[in-house]
Amino acid sequence: MDKAIIRTAGALLALALASSTAFAEQVLRFATWDSDESLAIEQAIAKKFEEAHPGVKVQVEAYGGDGYDQKLAAGFGAGNPPDVMYMWNFPQYHTSLMPLDELIAKDAAALDIKDIPEGLLNASKIDGKTYGMPAGFTTHVVFYNKDMFAKAGVEEPKDGWTWEDLRAKAGKFRNEAQKTYGFAVDAKPDPYDFEQFLWSNGTRYISEDGKTIDGFMNSKEAAEVLDMFGAMAKNGEAVTVNVGENTSASTLFKGGKIAMLEGAMWNKSGIDESGVKYGVAMLPAFKGKPVQSAISISAMSIAKDAKEPDLAWEFVKFYTSPEAIAMRKNDLPVRTSVAENQGMTKDPIYKPFFDVLAVSNKERPAFLKNLKWAQIQENLAVAIEAAITEQGNAQTHLDEAVQRSQRFLK
Amino acid sequence: MATNGMERRGPRIPITPYLFISPWIAGFLLFTLGPLVFSLVMSFYDWPVVGERTFVGLGNYQSMLADDPMFWESLGITTRFALIYVPFNIVLSFLLALLLHHAKFGVGFFRTAFYLPSVISGVALVMIWNWIYSSEYGLLNYMLSFAGIAPVNWLGDRNLAIVAIIVASLWGLGGTMLILLTGLKGIPKELYEAATVSGVPGWAQMIFITLPMLGPMLVFTFITSIIAAFQQLTIALLLTKGGPQKATYFFAMYIYDNAFKFYDMGYAAAGSWIMFVIVLALSLVVMRWSAAWSYYEGELKSKDGGQDA
Amino acid sequence: MRKLLIHSALTLFAVLFILPFYWTFLSAVKSTAELYQFPPVFWPAEWHFENFAASWGKLPFNTFLWNSTIVVVLSTIGQLISSSLVAFGFARYRFPGRDGLFILLLATMMIPWDVKMIPLYMEFNYLGWINTLKPLIVPSYFADAFFVFMLRQFIMTIPLEIDEAARMDGASSFDIYWRIHLPLMMPALILVGTIHFMNAWNDYLGPLIFLNDQSKYTLTLGLALFKNPHDVDITAVAAITTLLCLPPLVLFFFAQRYIMEGAVGSAVKG
Repeated sequence: MDKAIIRTAGALLALALASSTAFAEQVLRFATWDSDESLAIEQAIAKKFEEAHPGVKVQVEAYGGDGYDQKLAAGFGAGNPPDVMYMWNFPQYHTSLMPLDELIAKDAAALDIKDIPEGLLNASKIDGKTYGMPAGFTTHVVFYNKDMFAKAGVEEPKDGWTWEDLRAKAGKFRNEAQKTYGFAVDAKPDPYDFEQFLWSNGTRYISEDGKTIDGFMNSKEAAEVLDMFGAMAKNGEAVTVNVGENTSASTLFKGGKIAMLEGAMWNKSGIDESGVKYGVAMLPAFKGKPVQSAISISAMSIAKDAKEPDLAWEFVKFYTSPEAIAMRKNDLPVRTSVAENQGMTKDPIYKPFFDVLAVSNKERPAFLKNLKWAQIQENLAVAIEAAITEQGNAQTHLDEAVQRSQRFLK
Repeated sequence: MATNGMERRGPRIPITPYLFISPWIAGFLLFTLGPLVFSLVMSFYDWPVVGERTFVGLGNYQSMLADDPMFWESLGITTRFALIYVPFNIVLSFLLALLLHHAKFGVGFFRTAFYLPSVISGVALVMIWNWIYSSEYGLLNYMLSFAGIAPVNWLGDRNLAIVAIIVASLWGLGGTMLILLTGLKGIPKELYEAATVSGVPGWAQMIFITLPMLGPMLVFTFITSIIAAFQQLTIALLLTKGGPQKATYFFAMYIYDNAFKFYDMGYAAAGSWIMFVIVLALSLVVMRWSAAWSYYEGELKSKDGGQDA
Repeated sequence: MRKLLIHSALTLFAVLFILPFYWTFLSAVKSTAELYQFPPVFWPAEWHFENFAASWGKLPFNTFLWNSTIVVVLSTIGQLISSSLVAFGFARYRFPGRDGLFILLLATMMIPWDVKMIPLYMEFNYLGWINTLKPLIVPSYFADAFFVFMLRQFIMTIPLEIDEAARMDGASSFDIYWRIHLPLMMPALILVGTIHFMNAWNDYLGPLIFLNDQSKYTLTLGLALFKNPHDVDITAVAAITTLLCLPPLVLFFFAQRYIMEGAVGSAVKG
């Protein structure tokens, strides 16, 4: 009688193991956080590379936006990372990434590294070593709905405008019945992007040496920024998004519910698709202070123990070549020559992105300065959210965030 | 308590039961024990995702319990969630199952309708609830406006957000309901007929027939609901991201963040083990307590050793 | 009167449960302008049914569907056989270590996924199973605690006398499992199959961690590709979600008859 059970168990095992695997010739694994259209562009670039390198297959691994960090952690944690990947978190991963300086020096002529603005290269440097090559980037701008401006008889934004100008304009778009607003304030902004407002107001999250937050994160200037956004929400100049509302500001903009949107290249294709007639303005400045934008970079890194290091480097080089960069329509070209050839630096839609880049090379983002920044940032995010939701009290909340974060600075 | 006469009586240990459970034992050894031990080891290390790993002994547990306010705050939130979610999940599932059990027509339609939310995947589920709860554009506030109630910021209010998440979680009670309904259908009709003939009123039939007969299934849903409550992550992660201001920052999210936001794998493993121990303890309490009132038809009764769990 | 009460309560709940689904469907066929119109649009001016085909065509969804089908079918078979065997062992035998093993089994349900993830990844990586569908299929041939527990509870409601009678007639243990309990368990097994089907069909984390190449992706991973941190393609998500719900719904609609009617039929006459 027991034989029958053994047979069943055996059959189970056989069934379980009956699945086949196929292997290709020379496979290069490339992981990206992009999805949708940007992903399609990347696949097209990879195809081009395959055409130039017969016998090579580039396996583009798209993990979707939300899954990327988790997936990468699993890959690295288990010693099976992709060969080439998009990377932003250099402080966490740099010990497992390949330093690229020697390779860059070796191929200096072909790479023409001078063509890439230094601000874009600096973001992937840890202790003076380069761990990533920028492939695309974006700065932040303000999109505005031309039709709404015309209809309300409001003058369109001009270069050199300030937050006061923006607020004055925004106030004119409030309509209770149609639920329209001039602007949107995000209660849960990505703190990485949000630091641009602190920079523009003359402060930063954390000291240059990455050791002090007291007097930075909770400085008077930082509180001013938050209080200003709180006041905008209070006065009906802006709708607050992300307080219980995952309706994003860009969705509202696309639906014609807000007249101005603080955004970046990642918003552009969606807006284009929506058919809204829009213009682009530079980020407004705080009165009398120079404006600065956060720069988000898609950088390409190679895993330290990539199976095909030479091929990986070839791929990275190709990815940052003018030919490949010209194909990227969903972010901005990292090569000045490409931007100029395509007339982007003159195009009114793209010009503000480059204008702000030119003045945004002074600050290092906080996460590069302290390894525990992710934890500190949690407390900061709560303070930002609280201040914007309560439409004030910024100083109290920032002080509390600083106090709660002290244990990470020891 | 667990030792019983049967083992001592026969010299030969029976092989048949082990063969029956062998698939699980093999699976346990292959896919569970290894990872489990590994995670326990991890919890004694400062274990970044890449780079140097340092042995810290009980350091992770110590700093979690002593220095980390987020640990206690998130544990408190999860406990509050479980205290409301678990009873509601069981009672509502039971009521719906009873309604369905007594329904006369359209039963297939209703069953499918109640199970519908369990069929929708996470990404879409959250999109739907976002739309319902949205304070400006949401369905719920739109409905309330007919009753003259001013818009409520469901997900933006620290107290309401957790209620909103409980409701969203309860929406997926189809699975629990189905399990209880299967149980209800399995109760022999003769019991009720005999009771009715003897003049036992309906409420008494419920207490003395339905509930005890449904016992094993109720225990099952009770324990799995506790587990689900403690592991609650997806809805909160996608719907509120733990906000507003950490009001829905569940314990599972705390573990998740330590692993995938802070890359502190050892610390996350320590958190998981604490959760594991808590849930296991709760489940054992439920099982022991339930043994007193559930009726197990096929219970293996022996004089010197009953159901010991 | 009582009937009316029951049915109006049922209808009320049914509306609550169906309305959001109806909205998902609406979002799939609305124009972009109507998506965020307020007050909400419950009957679109134009029905854009072409959105379904368009969304399906944006990514290789045929491939995803094929992968999902393989995973779901193979793992459901494994789950049914293995879980019922194990449940039978636990419910009908008394053996040294049974209670301890059963608690161990329960305990495995309580292990948070995060903590198992990296060790499991390492193990599957060692076996060469990463980027294959095996990690999503093979473990289900080794019984899942949730289903074992459920089936065990179910078997415990079946009178022992039936087993004893069969044993007197000379049936072997396997015969009792195979010829008596499996048919009696049928409603519970269909329930297990249905729940497992839904879980496997909707699983996101497993495929995310263990699959790399888009040609191996399952439907949920494909769906997630419409969402990035800065934007969501609402129409595409809604359209694919609606399509994704259909197979499990149809399956469930047919399965539930068996689950329920079977349960009544099996009510063993003592």
